[in-house]
Formats: sequence, C-alpha cells, structure tokens
Amino acid sequence: MIFNSVTFLAFLAIAVGLYWVLPRRSRLWMLFLASLTFYGFWRVEFLPVMLASTVVDYWAARGIHRSDDPQRRRLYLIASLTVNLGLLFYFKYLIFFATNGAGLLRALGFEISDPAFSIVLPLGISFYTFQTISYTVDVYRRLIEPEHEFSLYACYVTFFPQLVAGPILRAREVIGQLNRRPAFQLDDLSIGLRRILFGLFLKVAFADSISPLVDGGFDQPVQSLGALDVWTLAFLFGFQIYFDFSAYSHIALGSARLMGIHFPENFNFPYLATSPRDFWKRWHISLSSWIRDYLYLPLMGEAVGDESRGGLAVAVDDGREARRTRSLFLTWAIMGLWHGANWTFVLWGVYHATLVYAHRILAPYLPTLSPRLQAVSGWAVTLPLAMLGWIPFRARSVGDTFEMFSRVVTPSSYLSLGLRENAYLIAALLLLGTVLTYGLRNLAVPRLSLHPIPWTLVRVLGYAVVIALVFVFLRPISQFIYFQF
Amino acid sequence: MGALLAAFWLAFFSRGPETRFDELALGKATTTYYAEVDGHPIHCRTVEDAEGCIAGFRARGLDRVALWLGNSQIHSLNQQQPGDQTAAPLLFHPLQARGIDFLTFSQPNASLQEHLVLFAYLRQRLPIKWLILPVVFDDLRETGIRAKIAPALDDPETVAALSRFPIGERIIAQKPKIATSDLAALDQTVQESVEKGLNDWLDRHVGLWAARPEIRGRIISDLLRLRNRILGINAQSKRKMIPSRYQANMDALAAILTLATDSGIRTITYIVPIRDDVAIPYDTQAYERFQAEVEALSQEHGATFANLGSIVPGELWGMQDPTSGGGEPEYDFMHFQARGHALLAEALARLLDAQITEAAQ
Repeated sequence: MIFNSVTFLAFLAIAVGLYWVLPRRSRLWMLFLASLTFYGFWRVEFLPVMLASTVVDYWAARGIHRSDDPQRRRLYLIASLTVNLGLLFYFKYLIFFATNGAGLLRALGFEISDPAFSIVLPLGISFYTFQTISYTVDVYRRLIEPEHEFSLYACYVTFFPQLVAGPILRAREVIGQLNRRPAFQLDDLSIGLRRILFGLFLKVAFADSISPLVDGGFDQPVQSLGALDVWTLAFLFGFQIYFDFSAYSHIALGSARLMGIHFPENFNFPYLATSPRDFWKRWHISLSSWIRDYLYLPLMGEAVGDESRGGLAVAVDDGREARRTRSLFLTWAIMGLWHGANWTFVLWGVYHATLVYAHRILAPYLPTLSPRLQAVSGWAVTLPLAMLGWIPFRARSVGDTFEMFSRVVTPSSYLSLGLRENAYLIAALLLLGTVLTYGLRNLAVPRLSLHPIPWTLVRVLGYAVVIALVFVFLRPISQFIYFQF
Repeated sequence: MGALLAAFWLAFFSRGPETRFDELALGKATTTYYAEVDGHPIHCRTVEDAEGCIAGFRARGLDRVALWLGNSQIHSLNQQQPGDQTAAPLLFHPLQARGIDFLTFSQPNASLQEHLVLFAYLRQRLPIKWLILPVVFDDLRETGIRAKIAPALDDPETVAALSRFPIGERIIAQKPKIATSDLAALDQTVQESVEKGLNDWLDRHVGLWAARPEIRGRIISDLLRLRNRILGINAQSKRKMIPSRYQANMDALAAILTLATDSGIRTITYIVPIRDDVAIPYDTQAYERFQAEVEALSQEHGATFANLGSIVPGELWGMQDPTSGGGEPEYDFMHFQARGHALLAEALARLLDAQITEAAQ
C-alpha cells in the first residue's frame, strides 16, 4: 500500500482505532494481519517470501538461544543468513551477477549471451531482510533474548509503518513497545498526525513536483549538458530524494506514534552537515547504524551496538589505518550495492567513502577557525560534494556518471546551459529554502514562540497552507523512490 | 483552526467556471475550434479521441488521406465571429471533392516528438498519402510525450516504427515515466481498484474533492504568473532555445520524414505564420538558422518546404491576457483571426495541389 493515497489514510484510521480498543492478544494478531494486508495491497504473491523470512528467523533465533553448543548456534545463524541473503540475492542480485558474469566470460572469449529472464523485486525485501538478520544476529550475540510469542515477533518484522522503506529497527527498540500498549496520550495523537501531514506535504507538494524536472534532465543525452546543468540536476535530485525519503520516514514515524510507538529518527537535516562524516550521522540513520553494527565494526573487530541511532560516523583511532581504510571502502561499497544491483550504486558508495577518507586525512591540516566559521565553511564544502554524489545514484550508467563528472571539472563546460529555465530557478529556490528553514527553525521560531498571539497566527496559517496543499495534491501518482530498493 | 482556514481557502479557490488548462495560454479573445462534418470530427487532438476522426474517414468511404499535424495555431480563432472557421474545414471540403479525405490533429505546444508518435500511430490506421507538418520554433523547447498520446506507445506497430530511430527509442524508454492517471503508482496492484473506488465515492459526495484538479491547475498557473511577474517575463520576452530539446525535436523531424518517405507518403513542411509587425520573441539569428535547418532537412528527405512565416498580416493577429496575470494585454504571436486561417488554407491548398498533380502524373 502506498502512503500517499486515500486507501492508506482509511486503512490507518481503522488499524489505529482497533489498536486502541482490542485486548493484547487480539491487538497483536490484528496488527500482524493489518501489516499483511498493507503489503498484500501491492502484490499478494510476494507475501510468502516475507513470511518465509519471518518464520525462518523466528525458528533460528529460538534454536540459537536454546543451545549452548557454539557450533550448533553458528549453524542456526548460518541457516538464517543463508535464507535471508539467499532471498535477497535471488530477487535483487541474480540478474546483475549473471549479466556481469556473462560479460566477463565474453571478454575472455567465450560465446555467451546475457540472461534472458526477469525477476520482479519484492517490495521492501532489502528492509525486512536486514531487520530479520539483525534480530537473529543480536540473539546470537546474546544482546537480546528471542521472542517466544510468534504474533509479537511477527509484528516486529512486518509492522506496516516501517515495513516497506524503514526505518530499519532493532528488536530491542520495538518489541517492548508492541508488547505493552502505552496509555493513550493526546500528545502522541497530535504529534503523529502532524508528522503524517508534514510527510505527505513533503511528498506531494515537493518530491513529486521536482520529479519531472529531474527525470527530464537525466533523460537528456549527457553530451547536451553543461557543468551548471550537472550541478543543477545533482541539487534537484538531492532535494527530490531527501523530500521523498524523509517524507516516507515522517509518515512511518507518525503512523507508529498514533499507536503510542516511538521510532528513532531516520533523518536530521542532512544537507546542513558540516563534514562528510557528519552527513552520515544525519542521512538514513537507521541503515548506516545497521551497516555500522553488522558490517563495519565486525570488520574492524570492534564491539557492536544494538540501536539504530548514531549512523555510520564511527571513528576507531587505534592506529590500524590500513584495516580501517579497507573496512571503510568495503562497507560503503556494500551499502551502495544494497541500494540496487548496479555499479552506479557501488560507485556512489565508494564516492562517499572517498569523501570520508579525504576528510579524515585532511582534517589535521585544515586551518583552525572559530567554531561558527568552521561550521559554515564545512557546510559550504560538504553540501555541494554530497549533492554531487547523487549523480552516480541517479545516472543511467557508470559511463554517464563519469561523463557528467567530467563536465563539472571542465571550465569551458560552464559556458553552456542545456536545461529549461525553471530547473535552475527551482534548484536555487530550494537551496535558499533549505537555508531559510534552518534559520527560521533555529532563530526566528524560538523568538516568535515567546509571543503567543503572533505565534498562534503563524502556526494556523502554516497549517492551513499545508493541509490545503496536501488535500489538493494527494494522489498516488508516483511511488516513493526507496520502494525500488 | 488551520483545517478550517484551509477549507475556506479551497472553497474560495474552487469557485467560478471550469478552466481548460491546456488552452490557458490562449487568453480570453481566442477560442478553440475543432471542426466536424456530418457528425464526425475532422479535427482531433490526440490518440485519445483519434477514433472519432478514423470513424469519420471510414464513413466517408474514401481511400486516400491527407493528414495535417500541428499545435494550437490550427485549432484557435482570435476574435471569432459567427460562421468563422479554421483552416482545417476550409481545406477539407475542396479535397473531399477531389476524392481525398483530410484529417487534422493538433494539441497546444505539440512537440515534433509527439508528432512522430502520433504519425507512427495514425500511419497504421489510415491510408495517408500526404502529410502536412508545421514546424514551430517555440515548440522545439518542448520535450516528452503527453499522457493523452502515450497510449500509442502500447501499440506494437507504433513501437516497431519508432524503434527504427534513436529518438524513437528514447521516446519508448520514457513510457514508464508518463503518468497516464492520478493513480499511476498503483498500476497493476491490488490497491488500484480500492483507491479508484474511494476516489469515485469522494468525487460524488465531497464537492471540494471533485474540484481538486481545477484547484491544482489554478495553483500551478498562479505560480507561473507569479514567476512571470517577479522575473518580468511577458509575451515578447526572448525565448532561449534549449540545445538538447532542439536537437531531439530535429531528430524527430528527420524520423517523421524518413518514415513518410519509406511509406510512400509525400510531405509538406512549413515554417508557421508568425506575427512580424512587432519584434518577434526569438533571437533573430537563431530563428534564421532554424528556418534554414528545417529547409535543408526537408530537401534532404525530398519533402516540399515552404516558409509561411509572413503570410498573415499584422492586423489579423490578436492580443492575449498578460502572462503575469495583471497589466496590459500582450501581443499574441501564435494565434490569428479567421481571415488568417483563410490565408493559411490558401497557401497550403496551393502546396497540396502541386503535390497531388505531381502524384497524378
């Protein structure tokens, strides 16, 4: 089911209503069935895939917990990983590896054609498999105990607000909240509704409006783009994906909040980051925290956490530079590949690893400035670099990516313009809007909120505009970008 | 309070008669006119209503068709008086008397890429022998395929014809991104029918819900007017050509000409009439280069080329609403009065006559 639809709003109202009136056992089964309905509204035939992943990890975690034999525990873990990663590999990566394998064999002189089959990617598979893997690994690491009640555990894996595009949550963060319904609070209802409203506003008024400009620009032959066009497209797509994905997270967090369930934040003004490392504390926090705990730190042989907070901005200053650098690049490459079976995503990951690495190397040599100047100059460098990173993420191929990057570093390319005028105008307005929003939030709002009457007026006007625009523009005309991952 | 205010605002915004947003640029003095003969349209818009024109052709029982594709210039009449007609019916009747059917298709700001799709589609359905193709500098700034033409991309023969050309491949590749309805994201999902049912129910029972498309259009057109006002854009502002779009449309023109030649269809390309008693809204050198390029391309493909840029005198053109929403009316460079249509029809009739005579010999 897609969030930006009337169906979802009606479904949510019914599910939340039942949640608050049903007793515990019925409530859990209702949530589980509601989540299956939510998922089945896309494609019923992929429900068994999700259920298989759910059941296998329920069984494996209990097996791990029951046994004291390390070998037997490891076998259960391997079984879980094999099923989850096997499903992910089959649905998401088989064609990619088969095509690349065929290409490699052709390069070696074998006569072989590309695979002639297609596989539909089940919605949200990258998210729920990561969630089930984290559950089993946490049980294996003895960070948590397995959940015995299937309906409670199944609710954790399939909980509809975050099922399709996260946040990727840890069992410890959710199971307890699902188990014991908190007392109904008007605050939760109010915050939940506001977040849903704001999420819908970002999606229907911003992300969907920018989308045609981005699609049009990236569909053009790369040769027709000048350097400023590449920058404009990078910024436009950067804003589109941020509005789109953070919109999803707002709606997910808001929907859970209507049930009194608190999810950790998935975004924190990423485009105001003052360094590449800071960016990864602010962007898709639950994924980067997952990667940190289940990939980066194990590769580094470090202690792991069990919370989807903090992001991937970890620093291990113990002098093992070579291992640290290897882990950094490998981790980011895998994170890139998680987004999609294409070399462009790997390139995106490696690009960000390079930024983090370069910042780490250069930081000691940077001049010491006042904290404010340091933050402003850091932001001024980080923002364009982070935005430029969206080029490989969105470009059609690695070749197009390099072609676009080459435009940016060719001075003569700055003399031609190849996009419609609105594209430059909207990119500039969005950039200005981001800075103004930050300024308003941190400077104007605290001052204005001291004066009740003007503050109330501003809030009423703000809500009126947001409600009106959501009402008028709400339509499932496009999916959320992260649905394809 | 916010919700209440929003409801008042929306109710206020939805008042008044329904707006035709695709014809918004025409202004109050210009009306659209799609001719009909014996209850059948002879002037259609897109793939969506093409069947009407095709049915008319079948009913008339002729075996040769002359097809005219174009933009709003050919379906708009400035200061329309009773009895005024566009060029389409003026050309239809004499040709019908000669045993040739004449059909016209036009959409506002139609790009040559859209003409290519429409031509590839209609070519399979009509015995087209002559094609008249206006080339409009302004429309070379457009790209993409509108949703009402997109259904042609579901037709295997159209796709096969398009895929002969790189520009055709690019158009085909855009198909998944063309949102053909407000429910495009739900295509082939279980949710699609539920969402449709809920929307239909809301449309029937909640007035404001039914008015949403109108309000959306008004918000977007108001934003465009605001942009024009802030940036001082008006009808005479010079429009910059966008190189990639220009090239894509020129590639589409070449593809149309190739497709026509290969199908034994004779083509007439012409530079459209433009108001030239005041400074045109283009860079003069770029406009001259464009005309020369279209002429060269036409000759390369054996098509007849004509520059009809000056055939409609200044007094036959109209004015349009100010592009910024307020202030004085502005010059309309694209749409003229019925007498202008008569002049255009005369010029095209001469060109067609030469080709028909040549074909008969």
